[in-house]
Amino acid sequence: MEITKKDVELSGKLAKMQVSGQEADIYKEQLEALFKWVAELQAVNTDGVELTQTALAAHLRQDNPVEDPALSRTLISAFNEEKDDCAKVKKVL
Amino acid sequence: MMTVCEILTDIQSGKRTAEDVTRACLEKIKELNPKINALVEVWEEDALKQAQAVDAKKARGEKLGALAGVPVAIKDNILYKGHKATCCSKMLENYVAPYNATVVEKLLAADAVIIGRANMDEFAMGSSNQTSVYGPVHNPVDLERVPGGSSGGSAAAVASGMVPAALGTDTGGSVRQPAGFCGVVGMKPGYGRISRYGVIAFASSADQVGVLTHTVADCAKVLEVLSGKDANDSTSLDAPVPEYEKLFTDGLKGVRIGMPKGFLDGLAPAVKEKIEAAAQRLQAKGAELVEVEVPYAKYSAPCYYIITSAEASSNLGRYDGIRYGYAAKDANGLNDYYELSRAPFGLEVKKRIIIGTYALTSERYEECFLKAMKVRELIRQDFKKAFEKVDVILTPTSPTTAFKLGQKEEDPLALYLADLYTCQGNIGGLGGISVPCGKDEQGLPVGVQFYAPILKEEAALNVAYNFEKGL
Repeated sequence: MEITKKDVELSGKLAKMQVSGQEADIYKEQLEALFKWVAELQAVNTDGVELTQTALAAHLRQDNPVEDPALSRTLISAFNEEKDDCAKVKKVL
Repeated sequence: MMTVCEILTDIQSGKRTAEDVTRACLEKIKELNPKINALVEVWEEDALKQAQAVDAKKARGEKLGALAGVPVAIKDNILYKGHKATCCSKMLENYVAPYNATVVEKLLAADAVIIGRANMDEFAMGSSNQTSVYGPVHNPVDLERVPGGSSGGSAAAVASGMVPAALGTDTGGSVRQPAGFCGVVGMKPGYGRISRYGVIAFASSADQVGVLTHTVADCAKVLEVLSGKDANDSTSLDAPVPEYEKLFTDGLKGVRIGMPKGFLDGLAPAVKEKIEAAAQRLQAKGAELVEVEVPYAKYSAPCYYIITSAEASSNLGRYDGIRYGYAAKDANGLNDYYELSRAPFGLEVKKRIIIGTYALTSERYEECFLKAMKVRELIRQDFKKAFEKVDVILTPTSPTTAFKLGQKEEDPLALYLADLYTCQGNIGGLGGISVPCGKDEQGLPVGVQFYAPILKEEAALNVAYNFEKGL
């Protein structure tokens, strides 16, 4: 499995991380070694192997709303800024 | 060096107070932590208040909790309300926990004394505790060597006698491997045995909280307190928690111990010798050794690195400067804001996110991620079949003993192989315990590991207890 510097840079971009040219060179070399090792998995016959799946509903808990003003205050105050008793964050839309 | 059991007996009998015990630990921390760097913060005032509260409770004649007065360190990825939890990362350097993890609630309810937060590899990614923003942890046995990781601070704190017990987390061996390197007991129960509510996620299909102590009986006591169903963690299992120590037997007659075919190949000679001796010791105590085949287990490590990196790339998406983590100040547009806000991640964390992101791209998804998931299924089936024939499975904890600080940094694949025997447990969801089984020619500890199926932790604990007895 060939890994190019472009692959590393693109993956960094998809993950919304800055990857410098020097970092990309280091990662490319390390990822090549890793994925060469991972390629050993291709030798395993997985035809007909079904992944274990559990019905999601079996894992869901009751969604009981809880009013906890003290916790709300703690959570809001953990943010850098707040306004009108709400956490103020960077505009994303 | 105080054990959990000794502390409990002494406090109950009045020989020592909880405050005496906590002060003794704080003294030890002051003496040794500057050299070992196991704890990144000590909550002295809080710990003394908790200890005094235990003593007051005793003086009033009230029933004490199961861990009354026992000082415990918690890994820096476990939330303790009002205290910092940073994952030893610059990304979370100012994060203060707004609520308690369930394991912390359980420790407090059991009257334990939470003494401080333990050093770790950044975001639990590593097997040598060299990626912490607070600097590396030094192995108490040899300060020039790594303690293992990622719960290296927890293991070193116990091994050096700073605390009798510590909590770690284990995604690929991060409790058991440092336990092996530092010469203490470390257990990761089966997936779902302990709630992960309030534990900062790395790879959700593999993460588990684990326990590090001096003895197997100590480990059983702490495990019993932490285990059980939690409505706040949908993956926690709804099954009764046994009184583990009551299930310990005198000898191992009738116990079948699986020896996986080919597992001793490629081990460091001293490790191989100790593991073979461990098997003989168990046989002498009445156990039957049975060869078992787990042919797909050799693929655990590559599966582990693909699956956990993929999950990490998703879990760590929340550190975007908006929901969690560092928030960039002078960004030019939203993408710039995200990229600058995610810049504090260290090199190893960034690499794992890149690996995971790459493995999940449409071009690589089937070949990498889906393939690894299918092989994981085969590994699970392997262990399921093996456990039809045996009660526990014996393996080394690690292929080598502790290596020198900085020795494998240039070769990440070599570092990843340190998890070879432990990540099988996370891939298969098994419970596993590492117990010291001797030392190599340089005096470095060797660990032997016992695996048990999910919800059969008592089987592994009992074999470990009998192995340890009389050592």
